[in-house]
Amino acid sequence: MTKELTLFSFALKNLSRKKLRTGILIIAISLLVCSLVFAMSFVKRVNASIKLTSERLGADILIVPAGSRGSAENILLENQVKSFYMDMSVIDKLKTIEGIAALTPQTYLITMPSLCCGVPEAMVIAFNQDTDFIITPWLDKKLKAGLKKGEAVVGSDSALNLDLGLVDVDSVLFGSTFKIVGVLGKTGTGLDNAIFISDDNMPHIIESGRVNIKPGQISIVFAKVKKGYDPYKISRNIEDSILEVDTVARKDIGKSIVNALSDINKIFYITVILASILSIFLVWAIFSAIANERAREVGIMRAIGAKESHVLTLFFIEVVVVGAIGSLLGIIFGNAMYFTLSKSFSIIKHLSAELNAVERSIITISGFLIGTSVCIVGALLPVQRLKKLEPLIVIKGES
Amino acid sequence: MSLIELRNVTKSYAIDNAVIDAVSNVSIEIAKGQFVSIVGHSGSGKTTLLSILGGIVKPTSGGVLFDGQDIYAFTSDELSEYRSKKIGFMFQFASLLPVLTAKENIMLPVLFRFNGSDGSGVSEEKALELLEMVGLGDKINAYPSQLSGGQQRRIAIARAFMNNPEVILADEPTGDLDEETEAEMMNFFKRMNNEKNITFIMVTHNTDLAMQTGRRLRMSNGVISEL
Ligand SMILES: Nc1ncnc2c1ncn2[C@@H]1O[C@H](COP(=O)(O)OP(=O)(O)OP(=O)(O)O)[C@@H](O)[C@H]1O
Ligand SMILES: [Mg+2]
Repeated sequence: MTKELTLFSFALKNLSRKKLRTGILIIAISLLVCSLVFAMSFVKRVNASIKLTSERLGADILIVPAGSRGSAENILLENQVKSFYMDMSVIDKLKTIEGIAALTPQTYLITMPSLCCGVPEAMVIAFNQDTDFIITPWLDKKLKAGLKKGEAVVGSDSALNLDLGLVDVDSVLFGSTFKIVGVLGKTGTGLDNAIFISDDNMPHIIESGRVNIKPGQISIVFAKVKKGYDPYKISRNIEDSILEVDTVARKDIGKSIVNALSDINKIFYITVILASILSIFLVWAIFSAIANERAREVGIMRAIGAKESHVLTLFFIEVVVVGAIGSLLGIIFGNAMYFTLSKSFSIIKHLSAELNAVERSIITISGFLIGTSVCIVGALLPVQRLKKLEPLIVIKGES
Repeated sequence: MSLIELRNVTKSYAIDNAVIDAVSNVSIEIAKGQFVSIVGHSGSGKTTLLSILGGIVKPTSGGVLFDGQDIYAFTSDELSEYRSKKIGFMFQFASLLPVLTAKENIMLPVLFRFNGSDGSGVSEEKALELLEMVGLGDKINAYPSQLSGGQQRRIAIARAFMNNPEVILADEPTGDLDEETEAEMMNFFKRMNNEKNITFIMVTHNTDLAMQTGRRLRMSNGVISEL
């Protein structure tokens, strides 16, 4: 017994009669969905990293040396290794600004790869344990008591490097041996790649002469704002009254990256929109040809009892099957492309946040819906025309 | 009451500036179970008349009553159901779908009638039985392109019986069959007419076949007359 005839199996048989044409259509849709998935993953990942970092930082305002705003973001969002310094006296000036609840300074140091037996260049962050509210929340309970001189904790990704033997246990940093006593919880920010020490060690490190920093210098001050105060206003206030600093308010973290990216985003989306329109035309052209070829067959079906809805369903199944297969392939290609290319896009490579399951699903579902809708929209007119076809045509001979 | 009644049916076509009446003011009544043949020259309006009866071509004027109901007052879906349930149409020209096998072609009217299978497998048995009856039991899975013209013709004949129609409209159903097969098909029709009381309206050029039918009509320039 052969398989039962259904509208679905009938539609599949119709699709398979011109395999090349069906294949081209599927590939076109998959390319469209592929670029869509890639673009969305890229943009979402950048935005997610920015949001994550600003949420987890615990600070409302970042204060950095004038001109170093971008570098600070590079460190926090992209795990880049950068250093910049200003005088500690900034802290005293900041204390006079109204509305600030807490301040904590950090100093960024860069290990010298050449000096340190093959250890890759890494950020060392010296933080102030007495005032800190940035690092401590991510420390193990037993470490909350504080780091002693000569002790260090590492970010969760550095810890991975440790396991791989890329960083020495009991690392030699700037000529002194540091005992690594713990690992920071995963923050999903640039902090994951850094090594943390107490700023008690600074005089000793400066003495070693292996860093380009003078006594009394710091890199950044994190500020918390009192309840009821607007971080933006305070930010502006700070910049007006302390000329040697720039500020980044929490909501603005990543703004310079976002601005740089927004043009890329636009290009992505314009490309995807143009590709969608192109695909709609392609589907329209192909289904117009199909409609012409099958006019007589539709006439026969109508004459032996097919309703308009049967004709509609039959072609709708073909359209949706092409759209669905094309979209699924596109989702697979798009993800493959994203994972392969993200290694060569420096901007993605350094981003801290990975896309979570919800974001992945949203991208997948949007890709699928858009790919399928493009097919449906493109086929709408030709199929509508077929549906309305009078069965009369069948009584004529070959057409 | 008659099963089918045509009241002053006219179908006009406009060709260039001239208007021709393919069917001209035809009024006939056909009772249930009658076997009617229609003869007439090429272009006399036979196919047009059958198409009007089958709910395929709407007449320019006049009414077509089936069981007392005007079928051209039906909605599009009702008309489809009429074609699906009441009528079995054998077209003058090849009418099988090329992507479907012989059996699937025969099952197609069932698909449209039930939106799928009838759920019981009865239709499938019936399809095989009909294939057997038209002498093509061994061609179940052949595609139309693998069949001869006459074999395709017989598949189309079998298809017309699939939904147990009340009326068979046959447009030169034996046109491309050899004499022996033609006779077999005619016997098959007569059996269905006798056993199942199916009404037959058959267009034919073969006067021998026409002589075997209970009622004979002639079309001439769109006008119908009894013979
Ligand atoms: N769609 C149409 N448009 C214009 N004229 C038509 C159309 N269909 C049929 N005609 C004309 O109507 C007349 C009757 O045609 P019909 O097909 O009914 O003839 P027929 O008796 O079936 O002929 P044959 O024996 O050759 O099949 C012919 O003159 C034909 O040219
Ligand atoms: Mg004809």
